[in-house]
Amino acid sequence: MRRALLSRAAPMAAALLALALPAALAGPFHLRFLAEILLLGTAVMSLDLLVGSGGLVSLGHAALFGTAAYAAAVAALHLGGNLLLVLGAGTGAALLLAALMGVAIMRSSHLFLLILTLLLGQIAWEVAFHWRAVTGGADGLRGLPPLSLGPWRLDGPRALFLLAGGLALAAHALARSFVAAPIGRALVGAREQPLRMSALGYSTARIRLRAMLAAGGIAGAAGSLYPFLNLYVGPQSVHWSLSATMIIMLVIGGVGSLWGAFLGSAVYLALQTYVSAYTDRWQLFVGVIFVLIVLLLPHGLAGAAARWRRG
Amino acid sequence: MGYAIVQVLNALSFSALLLLTGLGLSVVLSLMNFVNLAHGAFYLLGSYVAVLWLASGAPWWLAFPAAFLAAALAGALLERFPFRRFYARPHLMQVLLTYGISVILADLMRWGFGAQILTPELPAALRGVVFLFDMPFPLYRLFLIGVGAVLGLLLWLLLDRTLWGAALRAAVTDRGIVETLGIDTRRLFAAVLVLSAGLGGLSGALGAGMLAAYPGLDEEVLILALITVVVGGLGSFGGTVAGALVVGFALTFSKVWFPEFANVVAFSAMAGFLLLRPHGFVAPPLRQV
Repeated sequence: MRRALLSRAAPMAAALLALALPAALAGPFHLRFLAEILLLGTAVMSLDLLVGSGGLVSLGHAALFGTAAYAAAVAALHLGGNLLLVLGAGTGAALLLAALMGVAIMRSSHLFLLILTLLLGQIAWEVAFHWRAVTGGADGLRGLPPLSLGPWRLDGPRALFLLAGGLALAAHALARSFVAAPIGRALVGAREQPLRMSALGYSTARIRLRAMLAAGGIAGAAGSLYPFLNLYVGPQSVHWSLSATMIIMLVIGGVGSLWGAFLGSAVYLALQTYVSAYTDRWQLFVGVIFVLIVLLLPHGLAGAAARWRRG
Repeated sequence: MGYAIVQVLNALSFSALLLLTGLGLSVVLSLMNFVNLAHGAFYLLGSYVAVLWLASGAPWWLAFPAAFLAAALAGALLERFPFRRFYARPHLMQVLLTYGISVILADLMRWGFGAQILTPELPAALRGVVFLFDMPFPLYRLFLIGVGAVLGLLLWLLLDRTLWGAALRAAVTDRGIVETLGIDTRRLFAAVLVLSAGLGGLSGALGAGMLAAYPGLDEEVLILALITVVVGGLGSFGGTVAGALVVGFALTFSKVWFPEFANVVAFSAMAGFLLLRPHGFVAPPLRQV
């Protein structure tokens, strides 16, 4: 009993410490950088629900993230940067798109699902890129008002970092309970034994739709805060290459582990930021590291850590 | 009338290019059940080799075999390690491995060939336009349609009408039995991957005259080729031909009719097609167990 309590409390305490330390010590640049890691990590974790539990490899996840970012930015430009309004607009838009995607992928699997999500995501990108009147086209949207909640302004790097940290913790708790709940088990069942699951009376299509909605809601919440890190949102946040980057992050961190997603996004963004300062060949580095992980650590860094802990 | 015919020919030339690229991908996918996302890199390598060859002053028609050989060599090396170890793995792991390889190859090519757009100097025999119903049409695109049709036919003959093709198809169905007949299936599969990579390089050389060569083209071509193969339905030659025609015509005519939102219309059409036929145009009958 005490051990169980300890094993639950220890990661929670570690996570809180990991948020409190940088908030007290880090400078503005690093706080923004960490906030970006947390927001992208949250989106990658929601992708893990689809890929890790459901075996649904989506190449359209950036569309959910980026659509939420655009919806939040447009809402903030027209109605002001109220946190709840921004979160609601972004998450709502992502949920809408996720419902569409969830209906679309009901009958597809494997490569067909990959291509279908890619096509749907690229349609969203085309709209973001060409609908100049609303999205600003290739230039994106600039000059967003800072976030606020009632009388407080949330525009400093520390406030943004804590906001991203709180969101990441809440999203992680939500994702964990989703995986442990009957729907999460059913999602794994629909991946492993689709025929048996339908014989038991489960509807694979409905399970997929609910998984897509959960993933889309979490990705949307992360996406709606993303524009306020740099007060800018551009079409790159919808493009499929960001979806591919999310999959790279997920694999580096470890598919199916949820918290590995944050590790993966931290490693990727650190490589991008620090290696690119020394050499133009940072993509080569990312590629080599990615291939090495696929070859040597098929369960990612989180899987390696779990194996090491078990001895 | 002339305008419509020119647009149909435009669509056909694009379809021919998609067919050649898609066939390389589809051969490996249908015969070896291996998803090779590095195929776009083979294509771009072929494009660069062709551009450099045509600029060097050597006989122009040798540019195409040279591109084929360069990409086939890259394919042979990668087949040794690490592709061979992944033939029996799930699709997801293959996708991840080959995508990582394609990221590495893309950056190496940006390093070696530079980041600018390179256009080939076409030989005099392929330059210029012909007039069809008083409308000008680039000669090179007619050449592309012809080459695409001939190469597609040759590949079909090779896989469907020769003993080698029969051994290959038998190895897909039951590898153990084919091995007991004394055929080395590892070499067979290696040969298919090398052939596929070479086809990728060859289609890159042919496509350079239409799309030029620049970093990032590898991903664009890969995506279009994947869509072609998937829309056609995995594992059938006729399906890939149909997929190439669907994608080529959808992309060309959406540009004619809806210039502003061309890709939205084309992608929606392809996505709608996949919604109606979730297993593509030609779906092999599968038994679920």
